[in-house]
Amino acid sequence: MLRKSNIIFILSVFLIIFTLVNIDGFASDKKKKKLEPLPPPPIPKDNPMTQEKVELGKKLFFDRRLSGDGTTSCATCHDPEKAFTDAAEISLSYPTTRNFRNAPTLINIAYASSLFWDGRAKTLEEQAEFPIMSAFEMNQNLEFLEEEIRIVPEYREAFKKIFGQELNIKLIAKAIAAFERTLFSRNAPIDRYLKGDKNALSEEAKRGMEIFTGKGKCIECHYGAYMSDQGFHALMVPENPKYMNEPKFITTRRYVAKINKYPDYMNVKEDLGRYFKTKKKQDYKAFKTPTLREVAKTAPYMHNGIFKSLDEVIDFFNKGGGEGNKVLKPLNLTEYEKKALKTFLVEALTGEDLQIKPPEIP
Amino acid sequence: MVKELEGKVKLVIKFFPYRYRDYARIAAEAAVEAWKQGKFAEMHELLIKNSPRLDRESLISYAKELNLDLERFIKAIDNQEGASIIERDLKLAKELDLYVTPAFYINGIKVLGVRDYDYFKEIILKELQNAKKK
Repeated sequence: MLRKSNIIFILSVFLIIFTLVNIDGFASDKKKKKLEPLPPPPIPKDNPMTQEKVELGKKLFFDRRLSGDGTTSCATCHDPEKAFTDAAEISLSYPTTRNFRNAPTLINIAYASSLFWDGRAKTLEEQAEFPIMSAFEMNQNLEFLEEEIRIVPEYREAFKKIFGQELNIKLIAKAIAAFERTLFSRNAPIDRYLKGDKNALSEEAKRGMEIFTGKGKCIECHYGAYMSDQGFHALMVPENPKYMNEPKFITTRRYVAKINKYPDYMNVKEDLGRYFKTKKKQDYKAFKTPTLREVAKTAPYMHNGIFKSLDEVIDFFNKGGGEGNKVLKPLNLTEYEKKALKTFLVEALTGEDLQIKPPEIP
Repeated sequence: MVKELEGKVKLVIKFFPYRYRDYARIAAEAAVEAWKQGKFAEMHELLIKNSPRLDRESLISYAKELNLDLERFIKAIDNQEGASIIERDLKLAKELDLYVTPAFYINGIKVLGVRDYDYFKEIILKELQNAKKK
């Protein structure tokens, strides 16, 4: 039989261990939540980078054969001239259809641990197939695409040389992914600053960074080198009123709900984000935290492009996010604080132009 | 916006009938003939409003609605009399590497896809401002 004093002793030990674990966890969270310079992009073991593979991927990225009607390439919605977005609120779509979400930038996409606003793909290799076969994006049949690429001698030879085997859709995706991993921020002032060049940021940008990491609480979700917690949050961004009643937009949203086996897909009236996929309560209207790197070049913002400027985004967060959200609280930033925060976002996080030009397509 | 900024903005429309749409080509022919008869803008409006009802019979009914010379109109669309103009524009689109409709060039600035009034206005006002400076 355990004596009362022994029980108290054992409970005390448990309590101490529990507290230590929690302090450790807390400390590591705190440690995680800081800005870090961009390291070289992570390369998966099963898709090593070579110059030739990147060049092949670049050609495929710009090749309109990837769409069913030959009008659209990856670069249509991820245009190098527009920081690898299409600068539209709602992304461009397959002719006669309508997309229903905003096209995110591909710059720094190598660092993302999931892809798409709802995180439905885990790797760039997996991601590449989705828009190619999507009815409202490129609307191509993947098996047919393999033959369309195979019939081009230059492609066929390149695949054999690079992968040592006949091409298939998985290898097409690998080549595209390899090219996309080369699209990372170069020489952004934030990186120079974090590596010790204290003159890399203006005084106002430095003040903005203090707000970013302090009163503005941006760091809570936008931390690390990628400036994202890689998580999903329901900020209750309002539906974009311009498209709410557009039949083609509604069609696409219903279609997405349907293919995700959302039971009441015919009556879905909002974009439920990751919930369509997972059906988990915490994912209801939750969308991926985007990176903030290069954010000055990637307007309009949010999953439905509802905010056309960073000022509008900052105002949204300053007032505590969208109606009914349980994530954000009003920040009470002053006009100057908002201005400094914007200066930080624009000045510090913008790298050099990547200078990607469309290649010759075989 | 053209009306709003009269004298400052010029709108030039080029044809780009989408090749996998059944009636895109004949609708372009209808627009060319309406243009020849001085009713391009009106026909354009009707085509947009009534799309995808752009089959031959519908086009003839639109021509009737606009009081066009029907005999000339029918002959033109049946004989593809606008082909040289349409082909010229398609060639231009190819040279510009354009495949997406609608596509716009505003003083050389490329804009692809459907955009709202404010989006265009912002670019146009900026361009007018730049022109003033020059």
